[in-house]
Amino acid sequence: MAASLQRKILKELTLEPGTGKALEVRRGQVLRIAQTSGRQCADFNCFNLHDYKEFFHTGRTRHLHGLHPTKGDFLWSAPPRERPMMAIIEDTVGANDVLYPRCSGFLFEHQYGLPVHTNCHDIQAEAQREYGLTPDDVHDSFNFFMHTGVSPDGHPFIAENTAREGDYVEVLALMDVLAVPNVCGADVMKTSDFELKPLKLTVFEATAEDWRNVPDFPKLRNQRSPADFKVKNIKADRELYRDESYRPEFVNVPVVISELEVELSPSEMESLERLKATGKYGDTDAEVLRYVVFTWWISRFMRGPKHASP
Amino acid sequence: MTTRIKLRLNQQQLELIDKTVKEGEAAGRADLVRRALKEFVQARPTSPAAGE
Repeated sequence: MAASLQRKILKELTLEPGTGKALEVRRGQVLRIAQTSGRQCADFNCFNLHDYKEFFHTGRTRHLHGLHPTKGDFLWSAPPRERPMMAIIEDTVGANDVLYPRCSGFLFEHQYGLPVHTNCHDIQAEAQREYGLTPDDVHDSFNFFMHTGVSPDGHPFIAENTAREGDYVEVLALMDVLAVPNVCGADVMKTSDFELKPLKLTVFEATAEDWRNVPDFPKLRNQRSPADFKVKNIKADRELYRDESYRPEFVNVPVVISELEVELSPSEMESLERLKATGKYGDTDAEVLRYVVFTWWISRFMRGPKHASP
Repeated sequence: MTTRIKLRLNQQQLELIDKTVKEGEAAGRADLVRRALKEFVQARPTSPAAGE
């Protein structure tokens, strides 16, 4: 809390149950989402304020930070932009989720027989409408204060909410964004312990100490912008129709296979045969050796979380 | 007596191997492959990890 004492407060408001709010949060500003009485999930959408086609992506965030991003992690935008939009600089609970999609009208009608019900998709859509966005623009949410897990058989589950009165998360904007938090509308799910409670929102000017909590992040040529796109304009009509002038320009196509010959000693062959005998790495010596090469490379040199089993 | 194995690799996979060689991790493509085999086996002295 020490940092907040030195911060300039720019905006304070309370989100009532069943509502959300679209907030312009400029680069260098901090949004705090705080519990009022505790045990309340907050769904969250985030758009580049100057180009709404760049928006938060649960998939890449999940890929880089796991199922429960927390302090020190980023909210990444979707491919091909793939830039950190906001940095989580404080999290007093550490129980966030990027596995579950937002709840929706369909879900409550299908699973509960309730055709009119508060739900995160519709709350987001109504809040985003203030900035001209449509229900189709709502994207998969970052779920703050949502305690989830995955069972051994691979099914996700929602556990009891562990946030308490006064708990909060803080996200620092690394670009100008439209940040849209909402009080999760799920009162007949475990998400917020079966009660919808208000959340308190505060926007601060970030301090130098806040910036020190932002880890370094990559800046690469593949974090693309519309300047890199072959189609420059956003399609404005709903119908899809073929561009007669289209000629495919896929990267590195054709994919050309060649052979790399490698001589192995008897002891190396013995090792290779032992691996092949497990049946896990391929059917032929060459397949097993190729598996070995790239699995080794991933474990030895790849940056970031490894996608191959250890 | 040595055994010759022919790995089927595309140009992108070779690019990764060549880049690694260029960074000084091995004397050449084949040398890198042999190093990978040696270290892969060293990391799995008895049997491979479950789930691979």
